Amino acid sequence: MTAVQAAATGTVAARIDDGLKIYGEGDTEVRALDGVSAQFESGRFTAIMGPSGSGKSTLLHCVAGLDVLTGGQVYIGETELGSLSDKDLTLLRREQVGFVFQAFNLIPTLTARENVLLPILISGDDHDEAWFDQVVGILGIDDRLTHRPSELSGGQQQRVAAARALVSRPAIVFADEPSGNLDSKSAAELLDFMRRAVKEFGQTIVMVTHDPVAASYADRVVFLEDGKIVDELHDPTPDTVIDRMRQFGA
Amino acid sequence: MLRTALKTVFAHKLRLLLTALSVMIGVAFIAGTFIFTDTIDRTFNDLFDDIFEGQDVIVQAEAEFDVGFSGPPPIDESVLDIVLSVPGVEVAEGSVGGFAVIYDKQGEAILPTGPPTIGGSLVEDPRLGGSGEIRSGRLPEGPSEAAIDARTAEDNDIAAGDVVKIQTPDAVTEFEIVGTLGFGESDNLAGATYAGFDLVTAQQLFGLESQFSGISVLAEEGTNPDLLRNAIAAALPEGIEAVTAADEAAAQSEALSESLGFLQTALLIFALVAVFVASFIIQNTFRIIVRQRQKELALMRAVGATGGQVVWMVVIEAIVVGLFASIVGIAFGFVIAQALTGVMAAIGFDLPSTTAPLASRTIIVGMAIGLGVTVAAAVLPAVRASRIPPVAALQDVDVRLRMSDRRRTIIGSIVLAVGIALIINGLFGDILDLGPLNELTAIGVGALMVFLAVSMLSSLIVKPFANFLGWPLPSLDNLTGTLAVQNSVRKPRRTATTASALMIGLALVAFFFILGDSIKASAGAAIEEGLRADYVVSVTGFSGGFSPALGEEIAASDEFEAVTPLRFGFWDRDGSDEFLMGIDTATVDKTIFLGASPGGIEALGRGGVLVHEDVFDEQGWVVGDAIPMGFATTGLQRVEVVGTFTENGVVQANFLVSLDFYEANFEGFGTDVDFVLAAKAAEGVSPEASRAVIDVAAAEYPNAEVRDQVEYRQSQEDQVNQLLVMFNALLVLAVVIAVFGIANTLALSIFERTREIGLLRAVGMGRRQIKRMIRWESIIVAIIGAVLGIVVGLFFGIVVTAALGAQGIDVLSIPAVQIVGLVVFGAIAGLLAAMLPARRAAKLNILEAIAYE
Repeated sequence: MTAVQAAATGTVAARIDDGLKIYGEGDTEVRALDGVSAQFESGRFTAIMGPSGSGKSTLLHCVAGLDVLTGGQVYIGETELGSLSDKDLTLLRREQVGFVFQAFNLIPTLTARENVLLPILISGDDHDEAWFDQVVGILGIDDRLTHRPSELSGGQQQRVAAARALVSRPAIVFADEPSGNLDSKSAAELLDFMRRAVKEFGQTIVMVTHDPVAASYADRVVFLEDGKIVDELHDPTPDTVIDRMRQFGA
Repeated sequence: MLRTALKTVFAHKLRLLLTALSVMIGVAFIAGTFIFTDTIDRTFNDLFDDIFEGQDVIVQAEAEFDVGFSGPPPIDESVLDIVLSVPGVEVAEGSVGGFAVIYDKQGEAILPTGPPTIGGSLVEDPRLGGSGEIRSGRLPEGPSEAAIDARTAEDNDIAAGDVVKIQTPDAVTEFEIVGTLGFGESDNLAGATYAGFDLVTAQQLFGLESQFSGISVLAEEGTNPDLLRNAIAAALPEGIEAVTAADEAAAQSEALSESLGFLQTALLIFALVAVFVASFIIQNTFRIIVRQRQKELALMRAVGATGGQVVWMVVIEAIVVGLFASIVGIAFGFVIAQALTGVMAAIGFDLPSTTAPLASRTIIVGMAIGLGVTVAAAVLPAVRASRIPPVAALQDVDVRLRMSDRRRTIIGSIVLAVGIALIINGLFGDILDLGPLNELTAIGVGALMVFLAVSMLSSLIVKPFANFLGWPLPSLDNLTGTLAVQNSVRKPRRTATTASALMIGLALVAFFFILGDSIKASAGAAIEEGLRADYVVSVTGFSGGFSPALGEEIAASDEFEAVTPLRFGFWDRDGSDEFLMGIDTATVDKTIFLGASPGGIEALGRGGVLVHEDVFDEQGWVVGDAIPMGFATTGLQRVEVVGTFTENGVVQANFLVSLDFYEANFEGFGTDVDFVLAAKAAEGVSPEASRAVIDVAAAEYPNAEVRDQVEYRQSQEDQVNQLLVMFNALLVLAVVIAVFGIANTLALSIFERTREIGLLRAVGMGRRQIKRMIRWESIIVAIIGAVLGIVVGLFFGIVVTAALGAQGIDVLSIPAVQIVGLVVFGAIAGLLAAMLPARRAAKLNILEAIAYE
């Protein structure tokens, strides 16, 4: 199935067509993305892997509307991001996209509850309290809601961030090394929850990671090298990912 | 170490500029004040050098004490013959001077706002200087010709051949203008209008027939002026002195400069307030810089830098900022000086457009204050920086470098108590007697301490305060409001210091509001109580007075029952200038309720002095005491205190004498004219009728202004309002610096919160929301400053008003609307301060903000 067909059938949450991202000029020119085309189907958990400097974070930023491509198009749903104003992009991020970053996910002056509800508070809309309760319940942070981030453990902080990413029911959630700063137990809990969100609620998640174990939680792994997609793995296990990774830089 | 420090400074040019700006403004004002007053000094020096050029010796009546513009009392014409008989005298001429108002061609009086309107005789011998030189036309001759100063001629389009009216103490006469006068480089005498006549005409006009105000002497070629002075002095009768022109020029120039000295002091005080505000900004900036550079400084420690070296690094940055601010500030001083010159020109003081050169004093003081304040403000943050442990370089630890709240409370309370004690002691002087000058200094130091203490202590209340102020925000502006309140209390000390900078300016504004309102209320009450007359005729500007003929004319009309003239005079009270009023004791009871002690007015008619009750009590005098009073004409007299009075609405002096006494002891310029008239209409005369009579009479006297009771009261209020406007305009300086301070602190805080703002943007906060968040925060900080300012201002206003009870300010009035207006003003200031930082925050690149280290 081509990207165009997938979009036409409505099963693609986001896609990038012939994405080009160039930093610098002349001698210092770096092609962070060099003709990347990929699609992220709805209800699936995709991991993006690749060695340092492969362009995986750039890909995530561009698809998420945080950065702008030098060439090519990015679609979230049916919307092409290149034509959007900053205001529309902001609105799109608020309504269609959820984020989990590696660190500094939370506003220190707000309580955990306020942090979870952040996108909804920003928009000033009402939120679905039942859904909120369900999300924080599953994440096990329902007893930490009145606490400030400084009073939470690293794992709890990341779970609050994950709850925030889900609470507005976005079309797609982008996670950039979400477990990168966590101990292995907390990481496993977080990743397990992310997989459950995909399986049980049909959430679409795209995650950048360099950790084969984290990648193995995904349905599909896309491998990036030198700004190009070089391979793809379905239903990965840590071992198959490691095997594939070994081929890089060899 | 020096190179590392310098590199850091220049890597943050914007920060350097913003930090330096606050000090720069203060230094510019200090330098500007000096340059401006130097310009005035030089102008007067030049002016008097010009005036006394072509003269070697001046002969005049010996004055008991210096009376400034009034000049010495007159001497007899016969003295000229004595002077002319002294060997070595080439030329000698007598001259007279007095009050004169020139009218323009349309018949309107030309009245400069500040400077006096004067006239005098012009010398005839061209070799002799002393009364300006002819710029165009010729010297006037005879009773119908006059020459006027070139500036007045030019400004009013008066040329040789024009006929204009000139008013002198006893008459308004038409004169043909035959020439214009210059005074050296200057086209007029420091803004005064000047009309020149021939000697005989001038003597008649000023009522000084057969008399001279002084005699100008030119020595023969080769005669030493000092020796000539001695020779003349030896020949003169007692009571008449000879002085060299050089000495007289220096003395008069100095006297004038001194009388403007208050201006320098006032301007410098406002400049120092600005610098004081700036010191808060500097301290805050360095504290934030040290915090932001914590890791870097810890790394320096880790690789072997000593604590002292870290202190040094921060101090070097302060030195660079201070040097930069001082140098640029001194340069901008010329701009300030030009602006001040412009203000003076607007009120009639003609100063040369070229400012005085930079005196070394200006540079030294400007640099010392600019550099000193910057470095002093940075020392505390620098010392804190040196306490950063090397381990902070490796770990993300929040190093607590600040003083504990407990210590803060204790130290702050002590400073506050000492400050208040100094103020109270200075104002009421009950505990320690420091002398008047030291008391003023003590009050100033006390005020500084109060400001410092409030700044220290306010960090403890910032949190509840901001939460209280911000309570409507979350419901008003949901998330951005919540975040703004939270952000404003995140660093209570930072918020407290930033708010305190604004507090200082607004506290002083509030103080002046309260003091001004109290003065107005007190004056109003005093006028209501004391003024029985229907009209008050007073002198406009500083034009001396108007002819007694006006009062006589009004009194002679059927429409008026009584007219009381009051005259104004300086006298010497134990070495310092005091003033008194001469009053008509026969009519006063009908026009002014003096509140005199029984029999006081009658006794005053027979001689002696009536003393205001407050002074009387303060001095512990009793009726019958003879107090020493020094008069320019008659020297030291012992005058009997014949009673007391309480009025202070119309009689604005603490000493009253009778007109007879006045005339016996005052002679010369400005003493043969009435200063104020209190006129009571006759029974049954309608206000319209009496007004018509008094207006017609006064129309002949251009510098006499008629006011009824309501207008008189209004005029007193207007005077206070004018001062208020002036003070508040000068305080704008301090407020502007504080606004820069809020902007700078916000910018630095936003820099610290880059990631947070990036995250907010990433999860969907719009640029406008970011801006709103920053603006709300700024407004909260500014309002905290405004409220603190109002509290401190209320305190100052109330205690100072209480202390001035003896000076007739016995009503405390707090202008609620203006005070509340200050809060609104504070909010607007906060909004303005947030403009640039908010824009910067909104433009933040999301990717850079959320990028990992």
